[in-house]
Amino acid sequence: MRSEYFYALLIFIPLAIIQLTVLPFIRFNQVVPDLILILLVYYSIRMGQIHGTILGALFGLLFDIISGGIIGSMMFSKALSGFFAGYFSNENKMDQYLSSYMFLLIVFLIGTIDSIVYSFFTTSELNTNLFSLVFNQGIIPGFYTAILALPMMIFAPKKMAT
Amino acid sequence: MLAILVRIWNNYKEYIILSIILIIALVLVSFSQSKEVKTVKTTAFGTFAYLTSAVTKLYEPFQTSFEVQKLREENARLMLQVNQLREHGIQNEELKSLINYRDSSNYPLVPARIVSKYVSSTQGNFIINAGSDDNVKIGMPVINNKGLIGIVFLTEKNFSIVRTLNNRELKFAVKNQRSRFDGIIEWNGTELIIRNVPKTYDMEIGDIVITSDFSTKFPPNIPVGEILGGTRDKTGIFNNITVKPLVDFTKVEHVFIVQIIPSVQKKGLELNLLK
Repeated sequence: MRSEYFYALLIFIPLAIIQLTVLPFIRFNQVVPDLILILLVYYSIRMGQIHGTILGALFGLLFDIISGGIIGSMMFSKALSGFFAGYFSNENKMDQYLSSYMFLLIVFLIGTIDSIVYSFFTTSELNTNLFSLVFNQGIIPGFYTAILALPMMIFAPKKMAT
Repeated sequence: MLAILVRIWNNYKEYIILSIILIIALVLVSFSQSKEVKTVKTTAFGTFAYLTSAVTKLYEPFQTSFEVQKLREENARLMLQVNQLREHGIQNEELKSLINYRDSSNYPLVPARIVSKYVSSTQGNFIINAGSDDNVKIGMPVINNKGLIGIVFLTEKNFSIVRTLNNRELKFAVKNQRSRFDGIIEWNGTELIIRNVPKTYDMEIGDIVITSDFSTKFPPNIPVGEILGGTRDKTGIFNNITVKPLVDFTKVEHVFIVQIIPSVQKKGLELNLLK
């Protein structure tokens, strides 16, 4: 399990660099797909709920530090995301979840939850209506992240899932 | 007792771990502005910025030559001068030429390149490759040839974090360049808004909004944005004015740090008044 953490954190570094340098160029209306979340969902399904939560907290904290954001805000949302993604951790269905369109659906679902939690956390705009908040701050970022997960799902070696 | 605790742990360990982590996260948020946390943040982002800087260089389509860099600097300086001239023109029209204006066009500019952009709906931050070694200090305004980009929020030896206009934490005083009415501008997650502007204020679509003399964060007369429209607030007494930033935050790659910290100067003056 230690090696899983080590590899996850090792992959996190280049992904964080891409997230901060390349992905801002493909943003749509202030929405940027979340590469870190895709990695987190992948490892949460592989490692289970507890490790997903801890890994989410680590990813979030590291990203808060290196991106200049409010420390703890992404740690909060990513820990919750890892926790929820952990519900899909099932040894019998891992293959199916990681290498099928189910993975996109999970990324979309967790991405939506992650974005909503994060926006609740960082937005003090209380007069925004709930539908607009869920749609603009949740569903659109979740959907965009799921689109980015599509090539990863297609090109990811099947062996990685097992 | 121990058996009960063990049983609770075994049954609910996922929830217990999650709760502990969420509490730690909340505690960290509340200490986010503390000196210790800032020190850790500064060291970490500075180290990481070397990596992002290297990656940015890789895909930068054209290596900016020294001459182009100089021209950009000149362009930014001219932007400030043009705006200053516009200001003088308006002042002359209003027969207020006796007011002694500060010359904001001679501020020293430090050129820098953006090495990473953190885009979110509420926390827009850039990391730039100029830091305390280049005499960049916290609180210095960041501009380009179009207008205001943000403010230096944290500095490390060779890198700094810039809080952009797309950051909810950044609120400052602005004024309508034409009608001279002031207001406080802020990012609401989707657009720049000047809130609670009395309905009687003369604000028209297309008017340019600039930093105000009342701002403690920025020197006056830096262009910020253009008025796009307005909506009435719930009370019906005030309008909320929407402003489109003059800078395209998606495309911006190079910036200039204006080497002035207005709040320090103003605080100094305020202290002089108390003497």
